[in-house]
Amino acid sequence: MDVLALLEFYILYPSFFVMIIFPGLIFALIVLLYTIWFERKIAAKVQMRFGPLYASKRSGGFLQLVADAMKFVFSEIIVPEQVNSTLFALGPVLYLLVSLLPLAAIPLSTIPPTGSVLSMYFHEFYDPNVGTGIMAAVVSNYSLLIVLALEAVTPVFVLFTAWVTNNRFALLGAVREGLLSVSYDVLLIMASLSLAIEFHTLDVAKIVEAPIPGFVANPFAAFLFLVGMLIGTGRFPFDIVEAESELVAGPYTEYSGLLFVLSMGGSYIGTFAYSILFADLFLGGWQPFTGYYGMIFTVFKAILVLMFAVFMRSVYGRYRIDQALRGSWKYLFPLALLSIVIGGVVGIWIR
Amino acid sequence: MDKVNKIKEYEKKNPFRLFADHVSAVATGLKYTFKPTRITLQYPEEALLLPNGYRGMLRLYKDICIGCTLCALVCPADAMKMATEQGKKYPMINYGRCVFCGFCVDICPVDALRETGMHDAAFQNRRELVFDPDKFNADFQQEMPTGKTVRRVKAIIDENKGIKYEPADN
Amino acid sequence: MTSRPEELLPEGGMGVEVVPVSGELNVGPQHPGAGHMRILVKLNGDIIEDVDLDVGYVHRSVEKLCENRNYIHLIPLVERPAILDSIHMNLGYILAVEKILGVQAPERAQYLRSFSAEVNRIASHLYGLGILTVFLGHSTGFMWGFGDREVWVEILQALTGARVTNSYIIPGGVRRDLGGAIIEMTNKALDYTERKLKDWKSMVLNNPVIRARLENVGVMSRENAVRWGAVGPNLRGSGVYYDVRKMEPYAAYDKLDFEIPVYKEGDGFARTLVRFEEIEQSMKMIRQILKEIPEGPILTDRFLNQIPPTRRKKWLEEQRRVVFPGYYASFRPPKGEATSMVEAGRGELLYYVISDGSAHPYRVRMITPSYRLIYVFKELVKGSRYADLVSIYGSLDYFPPEADR
Repeated sequence: MDVLALLEFYILYPSFFVMIIFPGLIFALIVLLYTIWFERKIAAKVQMRFGPLYASKRSGGFLQLVADAMKFVFSEIIVPEQVNSTLFALGPVLYLLVSLLPLAAIPLSTIPPTGSVLSMYFHEFYDPNVGTGIMAAVVSNYSLLIVLALEAVTPVFVLFTAWVTNNRFALLGAVREGLLSVSYDVLLIMASLSLAIEFHTLDVAKIVEAPIPGFVANPFAAFLFLVGMLIGTGRFPFDIVEAESELVAGPYTEYSGLLFVLSMGGSYIGTFAYSILFADLFLGGWQPFTGYYGMIFTVFKAILVLMFAVFMRSVYGRYRIDQALRGSWKYLFPLALLSIVIGGVVGIWIR
Repeated sequence: MDKVNKIKEYEKKNPFRLFADHVSAVATGLKYTFKPTRITLQYPEEALLLPNGYRGMLRLYKDICIGCTLCALVCPADAMKMATEQGKKYPMINYGRCVFCGFCVDICPVDALRETGMHDAAFQNRRELVFDPDKFNADFQQEMPTGKTVRRVKAIIDENKGIKYEPADN
Repeated sequence: MTSRPEELLPEGGMGVEVVPVSGELNVGPQHPGAGHMRILVKLNGDIIEDVDLDVGYVHRSVEKLCENRNYIHLIPLVERPAILDSIHMNLGYILAVEKILGVQAPERAQYLRSFSAEVNRIASHLYGLGILTVFLGHSTGFMWGFGDREVWVEILQALTGARVTNSYIIPGGVRRDLGGAIIEMTNKALDYTERKLKDWKSMVLNNPVIRARLENVGVMSRENAVRWGAVGPNLRGSGVYYDVRKMEPYAAYDKLDFEIPVYKEGDGFARTLVRFEEIEQSMKMIRQILKEIPEGPILTDRFLNQIPPTRRKKWLEEQRRVVFPGYYASFRPPKGEATSMVEAGRGELLYYVISDGSAHPYRVRMITPSYRLIYVFKELVKGSRYADLVSIYGSLDYFPPEADR
């Protein structure tokens, strides 16, 4: 009994639980599979097809992606001759891990002092800013900054994967990623910042606990964040880095087998992490639930956002790189400035 | 000159319409999400019954054939050759070469060649693709699971769905 | 305003040495955006300086093969280069042969030729739109293009007996007649496509992303279009009022009432719009044909009388189709030569047939619309961005097998 309690303590320990089980590594990989399944399925609906069907026909091909994943795991990884094979293998792995990292600082729910399974961690994960325990791997007063900083690192690893593969298409894709990352990071940071100004805090948990959700408080920031998220993770209509018809697969051209899955998975998991942050900042996060239910509710909202992001594939083509850059600097950047002003002005009343 | 008047210019992109265009594109996408019009033929379960007059595999009626060699002469792909059996000429066909143009059927003066609606066929090797007059004389039939596993359907053009598949009688 | 950074920066002090980033990119032949050809792209940064088109990967020596086969054998052969546009390929060849033979197809056959050609044009344009949209990353347009094309392919199948390898048009007429069932199918298909085109407009044509990728991309001025020898929708997208159907009507086009869409801009969007409106015009023509098609034979009397009467009657009444007279198997047209022009899906298609009096043509020359596009494509992509390579490629509707023959 004692051992069980100890086990329960360690498994449910927020830092471990959030990063590894839910919504971290294991859940994120499941989400990854089913996002792709959903993406294919919904695109098929729009496109007069059935999409994946024959793996578990009764549930509409629900197991197709599991089958695909198994196939990829066992398929050969081809390493080009003139690359450093260690770095070649390391690229996608690091990319996936780094896109998972932002989850560490995103609060998912509150921990009530009593009455919940999580209550035993109340004191350890106490956030004095909000006045309650926070379900997050790392509790910090500056969680927004940490999340944004960690997310800003991911493009480096896209460049890294492209660089080590030594392929011209990959390099072109990397250049595009480099150009884009500057523009979308600005949008994301400014959108988040305007909320921070509006709610006078850099603590995501406090923004969630604020009386009005960010979506109502600053709709411009919500829009900018959504667009920035689409650009940042290469979802349509900003699938510019991997542009299939031009760059084959962009930075991941040379990858095959499991490494290809990891490199593709990185962008989906990045989208997932951004979606959780979006749900927290703009959709009211776990409100009005707490504890477990709050966590599930936050992730549920995030998955809705994720579904919207992948639905864009069936509606849009892709912009050109210069159009995306011009759009983000010429139209969205002034909008971002406006949203900061709105944040400052509305913030006077929110206090 | 009225030619010049017919040269049109398209309406330039209006920045105010931009948002509405985005919305209408997404709305169209959503419309198809909730009311999908699927035209996929689920092939192994549903097999298409080809319409009357479809130029599928051919069949020889040996007793009618007069051995005039017109079919071999008109064949654009040299798929049809004449074989001599007991002093009489009959066509034989190599389906590896046949392009299913149906010229031989149309030119046969006694209608000894007919098209069948059969098109899906599988062969073990290329030799099997060559049908000698005796093999050519029979209706081409390959074992095909029928009944529950394979439904015979026919394609029907529908004004709402594009193409829909209705169960065929046979 | 200049876009060259070295001119923007003041001399000395803040000057930055700008190193031109140039390189070559080998696009294709195994590349999702290349089709059956290799495009050697010389890039400077994101700007294409020059392209070298390495065509010929799908060359099948059709013209040479034509010299060794009987006239009738060539019908399936000349279709093969542009299999999705086979009626037009077939029609052009037959028109030239008919000129040498000195026969004229009867009225009803002319209408049927126009009917099948317009059905094929719709299918071909939808195919082109599908390829264009998938080049722009819009997978829905791709699937819609191919899915909606299926409706028209189904009509061709009912009419001719094959989905794409129609071999429908023969010297002196057509092989099969239009029946009540096909008319009903066509009416439904017209209704369906008309409804679907509205969704096409909101999903593809007015989609801001697609428009952004096509507007002011690959602009071909009127002069350049004429000089580079562009044909078909690409020429009309550049403001040249030229269509073989209007200029030198063949089949039943002189009796049909239609407009040819011409746009002035000459960019990718104008070309796409021309294709799109041609679909609408083709549908209008099909409606008119269904209404006005005269009764009568579908094969010229000269050949019809060669068919044994009982057999002729039997096939015509039972299946509404004509059978071949034995003459077809190896006919020897008189000495002579003829050219024919038809407006194929991608533009003007020219055949030049020389007969030396034997059963084989002495020479068959086919100038396909895509063949003319090679040079247009090469000239158009110069100076555009790398991402526009596929956008221009798609908007020209270049079809490699047709160009390589």
